[in-house]
Amino acid sequence: MFFHITLERNMQLHPRHFGPHLRDKLVAKLMKDVEGTCSGRHGFVVAITGVEDIGKGLIREGTGFVTFPVKYQAVVFRPFKGEILEAVVTMVNKMGFFAEAGPVQIFVSNHLIPDDMEFQSGDMPNYTTSDGSVKIQKDSEVRLKIIGTRVDATEIFCIGTIKDDFLGVINDPGASA
Amino acid sequence: MSLEPFNRLVKLAARAFYDDVTIKGENQPKTGRGDNRGMAVIVLDALSRRQWVREEDLAKALKLHTKQLRRALRFFEEEKLVTREHRKESAKGAKIFNAAIAATGDGPQGTKEGDEKMKMHMHSYCCLDYAQIYDVVRYRMHRMKKKIKDELDSRNTIQEYICPNCGRRYSAFDALQLVSMDDEYFHCENCNGELVAESDKLAAEEMGDGDDNARRRRREKLKDMLQKMEEQLKPLALQLARVKDLPAPEFGNLQAWEARAHAAAQASGDSNASDSSKNPQAQGYTGTPMPFLGETRVEVALSGVEAKEEIELDTKPTSMKVLPPWMIKQGMNLTKEQRGEVKPDVKVEQSSSSVDEKKSNMDKEDEKSLQDEYLKAYYAALVKRQEEQEASKKVQQEAELPINVSEAPFERRVGMKSKREDDNDDVEWEEEAPSTGNSGQSYRLADLNVEADASDHDDDEDGIDWEEG
Repeated sequence: MFFHITLERNMQLHPRHFGPHLRDKLVAKLMKDVEGTCSGRHGFVVAITGVEDIGKGLIREGTGFVTFPVKYQAVVFRPFKGEILEAVVTMVNKMGFFAEAGPVQIFVSNHLIPDDMEFQSGDMPNYTTSDGSVKIQKDSEVRLKIIGTRVDATEIFCIGTIKDDFLGVINDPGASA
Repeated sequence: MSLEPFNRLVKLAARAFYDDVTIKGENQPKTGRGDNRGMAVIVLDALSRRQWVREEDLAKALKLHTKQLRRALRFFEEEKLVTREHRKESAKGAKIFNAAIAATGDGPQGTKEGDEKMKMHMHSYCCLDYAQIYDVVRYRMHRMKKKIKDELDSRNTIQEYICPNCGRRYSAFDALQLVSMDDEYFHCENCNGELVAESDKLAAEEMGDGDDNARRRRREKLKDMLQKMEEQLKPLALQLARVKDLPAPEFGNLQAWEARAHAAAQASGDSNASDSSKNPQAQGYTGTPMPFLGETRVEVALSGVEAKEEIELDTKPTSMKVLPPWMIKQGMNLTKEQRGEVKPDVKVEQSSSSVDEKKSNMDKEDEKSLQDEYLKAYYAALVKRQEEQEASKKVQQEAELPINVSEAPFERRVGMKSKREDDNDDVEWEEEAPSTGNSGQSYRLADLNVEADASDHDDDEDGIDWEEG
């Protein structure tokens, strides 16, 4: 799920940036530092939408670095248990398949794949129904439900299932090819 | 106060969930002697017949060692079935409790004239927490059902993987680290062995790695299990439903209960001389030696408890005042628990077949006569068995004494026989042997597993039914 929230961070700026474009440099550095990171609490920071407030800088003794407390608004993505997501399959093996929904990695183990889908090995490993009408392979798009999340300080990993109504392949590049 | 359905619930739950629980310390070896399965049921049953009870008294009544009982009670405390209270008290405090016991009319009476000169001792009291038991049992059943159902649907279950080499376990959350580039299996981080998916815990036997056939078999097994569970727990579920809208009996904490018991005793006016003489001491115990505070204290108890308990307070004095209904109630209680203890199967069947209370009430008459018959038969069997034992022993003695074999083999044999007895050494047992009833009884009491029901009768009825039978 996406959220638009206000976050805070203490930015350290090198003395070489002190000058007319200090603010721009600070924001650029903030974006470079923060976007794409993941915190267990808020999830993945997708984009910074604006800077609310930059506090007074504090010069560090010895180094000359300046610390600015920065308040900024950001779009974050945090997966939740029970959430339905659309994801792209990245890898298929005998144990199940991995998929990605944006920055989040999701693993669907083979016992959470419908019973009528069988694993087919080969150079393009896939899960196929017995009549061959549905196929899950690399780059397939699937709709899945998250049944578990492991949230570390800097990482979020999810377990998904496609063994439920209206879940499974939503577009199959293999079929059109 | 409707204790009856709740007691039944406790008994059903005890038999359903705690029947094969062994209660022992961590460092006790598992021997045949230490096998005390079934004790849990006995203790729960005994508690369902009492309100607050001192643990030593309970141990005495059950002929259990205090330590053993305490271990059991600690277990139940962890299971949230029992509330316990510990307090330091002198003989005075013990007296207050005894007065309270006398006022409620149940529990052992006059057991404690001997320990007047006790100093400050830590005493533990325990009581069933009916409201919580209801919740605990409900939750437990819910969890059981949910576990099987989840596994049946393979829903919301995180797959686990296990390394056959080093036995290390992984969950699907570790999948990203486990996947290898070389082949399509997961590999152990320690030994690089190939991980196998651990099949579902409940139906783990004889399964391969989850091919289609195994999956189907597993489903069938789970379905079977679910069905069996629902069937076997049906009486319990019915009892839960019956109890649902009844207010759970609340005894409050030990203090409040004692105060209430006193109040009831005073209100009913049947408090005899000893009771009234003890009452001032009760106030002394709370630290207010003013005589007029007796009434105020009752009022405090009234306002201190929740609104629910006011109903109880209304009913309680009346039930104390009028003796005959109380006696009848106690009698019913007894028959019911006899039924519960003597033939749990019968009870289960009966309750599952008769959904409504009325029928069971009608059955009660038959049941009672049945029960009396059973008791008679049981008693006869007991006597017979004791006679047999006696006879066989005589034969032994006769066989051995004339030949003048040394004492040792005889001793050993006796020792073998009585190995389940708690602390009686062989000699003592031999001494008791002539008095048939005694030795036979203690033998049975120690054998908790098999003769649990029998022993329990013996102590709670105080010999009333023995005369009956």
